[in-house]
Amino acid sequence: MPEYLETTVDKFTFRVATDRLYSPEGVWVFWVQPEGSDRVRIGLTDYLQQHSGDVAFVSVKLPGTKLAAGDELAELETIKMNLSLPAPVSGTVVEVNPALELNPELVNQDPYDKGWLAVLETASWEAERAKLLDPRAYFSVMQSQVEQELKQS
Amino acid sequence: MSDDKNRVAIVPCSGIGKPFGSVSREAAYEVCENLRPDDTRLVALSKLVLGESTACATVAHCPAITIDGCKLMCAARMVKQSGGTVARELTVLDAYREHRDLKPEGIAELNEAGLKLARVLAEEIAETVAEIGRSKAGKGGSHA
Repeated sequence: MPEYLETTVDKFTFRVATDRLYSPEGVWVFWVQPEGSDRVRIGLTDYLQQHSGDVAFVSVKLPGTKLAAGDELAELETIKMNLSLPAPVSGTVVEVNPALELNPELVNQDPYDKGWLAVLETASWEAERAKLLDPRAYFSVMQSQVEQELKQS
Repeated sequence: MSDDKNRVAIVPCSGIGKPFGSVSREAAYEVCENLRPDDTRLVALSKLVLGESTACATVAHCPAITIDGCKLMCAARMVKQSGGTVARELTVLDAYREHRDLKPEGIAELNEAGLKLARVLAEEIAETVAEIGRSKAGKGGSHA
């Protein structure tokens, strides 16, 4: 079980798992096999899933698809918006979460575990990880995003 | 089913500002005003929140069908908190997942797809109301 950084704003509590890295857009990257594989599991952060609303449909790029960082990895349709999710690292899709086809709500219910989106094989995890934020850095980015959202509401 | 105790309480979401909440209310109106007016009683969620006596008595004595617009499930939770029995929990999101071509948009005024989705949901609710009626009749209730 990962530990979390946590902040509560108004009636909302947002968690950031401390065992993985993040893109500023709110996508987490978890190194699946530290023993030498360059595979990473990818999903939405708790903040991004709460901000986006209840997920109705998830469409992830098929296994075998090669992606550069920033390419669209997945499309999510929620009750509030259509969300295009950029790949946080470059690599090839090797696995897509099969549970999301029947239970897309897992993205909302368990964003850091059962609601994962895909596994990517990166060319070099060491090179890719340098582009990502550690949990504390993402936590700060997320707090800024929350504050900005509050000002706009 | 003219006796109030033999009716089914229909409790829609009271969410404001989202099309899915609007669909839940539109479906409830369709059931209570057009499809099953004699078998149902529309209950405002806000009255349950306030503890208004007539609304609370209705859900205490009648099985309820709740229609929620989001995962907070306010309608279902409030019926249970008011001492009622939820015969069926429905969500607009589940209905939309089964009818992806009917994406609801608009709030004060739903788009055509949203109105169609509400109609689909209303027909499902009406069928559930009929099933509850048949079940009561089978158990020797006063419903014919």
